[in-house]
Amino acid sequence: MSEILTKAPQGHIEVKNFSLGYDSIEGPVEAVTDTQIHVNPGEFVSIVGPSGCGKSTLLNAVAGFLKPTTGIVTVDGERVNGPSAERGMVFQQYSLFPWKTVRENVEFGLKMRGMARSQRERAARTLLGLAGLDAFEKHYPEKLSGGMKQRVGIVRALATGPKVLLLDEPFGALDAQTRVIMQQILTNMWQRLKISVLFVTHDIDEAIFLSDRVYCMTARPGSIKAEIPIPLERPRQQSMMMSSEFLALRRGLMSLIREESIKAMGGEITDLGMQGLNIELHGHSLADVI
Amino acid sequence: MSSPAILRQSEDRMPATTAIDEAGPAPAAAPAAAPSFGTLALRWYRLNRAGLRAIAIGIISLLAFLLVWHLLTTYRVVFFVRFTNVPSPLAVYASFTKAIHDPKFLMHIVLSCRRIFIGFSLAAIVGVPLGLIMGRFKLVHEIVFPVAEVLRPIPAIAWVPMAIMLWPTNEQSIVYITFLGSFFPILVNTLHGMSLVDPVLVRAAQCLGARERSIFREVYFPASLPHIFTGLTVGMGVAWVSLIAAEMISGQYGIGYFTWEAYSLVQYADIALGMIAIGVLGLGSSMLIRGAGQLVMPWRLK
Repeated sequence: MSEILTKAPQGHIEVKNFSLGYDSIEGPVEAVTDTQIHVNPGEFVSIVGPSGCGKSTLLNAVAGFLKPTTGIVTVDGERVNGPSAERGMVFQQYSLFPWKTVRENVEFGLKMRGMARSQRERAARTLLGLAGLDAFEKHYPEKLSGGMKQRVGIVRALATGPKVLLLDEPFGALDAQTRVIMQQILTNMWQRLKISVLFVTHDIDEAIFLSDRVYCMTARPGSIKAEIPIPLERPRQQSMMMSSEFLALRRGLMSLIREESIKAMGGEITDLGMQGLNIELHGHSLADVI
Repeated sequence: MSSPAILRQSEDRMPATTAIDEAGPAPAAAPAAAPSFGTLALRWYRLNRAGLRAIAIGIISLLAFLLVWHLLTTYRVVFFVRFTNVPSPLAVYASFTKAIHDPKFLMHIVLSCRRIFIGFSLAAIVGVPLGLIMGRFKLVHEIVFPVAEVLRPIPAIAWVPMAIMLWPTNEQSIVYITFLGSFFPILVNTLHGMSLVDPVLVRAAQCLGARERSIFREVYFPASLPHIFTGLTVGMGVAWVSLIAAEMISGQYGIGYFTWEAYSLVQYADIALGMIAIGVLGLGSSMLIRGAGQLVMPWRLK
């Protein structure tokens, strides 16, 4: 286990001249276009952008699930050619195996590597213990809360000692209170592991709080609109989210994203629509006025 | 456990934490003195009231059914339906007590069970893997599916003449009919289960280093198991339907043959006995499958 925890920093992600499209009846559609990003070893990098901008597409290409139309994705100089245990992934839908207990879920990657049963059991137990989840090792995922499931999901992705950790809106399905706690847990975890992380989210606060650097993407076809370093000190604490430094970063990112979100909604939204309801009630109820 | 500290604490929090108490279970659920047997029984009763009610009503309803049956047959009611020759429950019971000592009756049952066992097992052994493979490999699906769709609507009973021609012995053709009856529900449900496997779970397995074979064994198969067991349960029901029909038409032994023979020999009580035996055997075999399902899928236990 100590081998995982003290591994020398590696996991340099490089995405160059990247574009990814697919064919539709109206002809080829570009989901992501002309994108370059990189993650330095041990760096925490987030991608934010309006929904449908292709940030998950980009992440899935780094994971190896999608092949870029042009450009290449490399990790430590090696070209990404399909999914591998070197790039651990955490999904929004938790994606724990319902038929495996918490411990068996965590063991899965080690089992795939061919580790003997007793050995991987011990490793999974140790890891769950370090994450404060040992009391739940025999539970089936269905019995766990969303936050608990995602903690198991993260531990499972870390168990094989991947070079990089990819997270696709991991806290998107959680309620706001749980999300805040999970962010703190994740940043504490990262502080110890110093693993390279590529984190996709639409939550600006989350991106700033967790990251060393944030990429902001444009509306579809997605490309990088801006790259914002987050110079907040580490270790990060929830209280920092009130600091003027944080708020300034937030304001900057907010205006970048807002522009793109409106663009992403396209014809959906007119000036009139933006007002919600263009009506004066003068003390009457809505039903009376219409 | 009931140390003074805990007692004091529970006194302390009386006024201050009413709100917390309302919000959730009290943090220090201090185990008071073990509740008496009476309170435990009362609690158990409260928790299981719905279940007990269902059992009680079920028993009453069964008894009422027997009573109506008894009245209809003792008074030989004729009202569109003729109960003139229908055996009474007591007559059936009498013939039951006689039959359980009759080795011939037991042999009928054993033979029917054996046919079900062989036919159904073969259907499961062929149907489940075929469904899994069809679900995973598009080409196999494209080749097998049209044939299966053409054959599927043909009821197993319609296969009887063909089965007699196809197979050298009567026994084999009956087992074949049983096999056909259960095969399609098993295949179709397995296929359905495969089509519903969450692709995110497959991706999760892939980025934990799983290769094709492991993904099949560790993801596709267990993910399809609930539907496979639905198929097995349905298949078992259809297997009995097909078996009884086949036995009535072409059998020499078996509980279906026994029932039909009783009609020919004017032993009316045995007709009802045969029917009840078929019902009990069908129920028993589907309970076996449900039990097996719970053993194989512990994660689905509530």
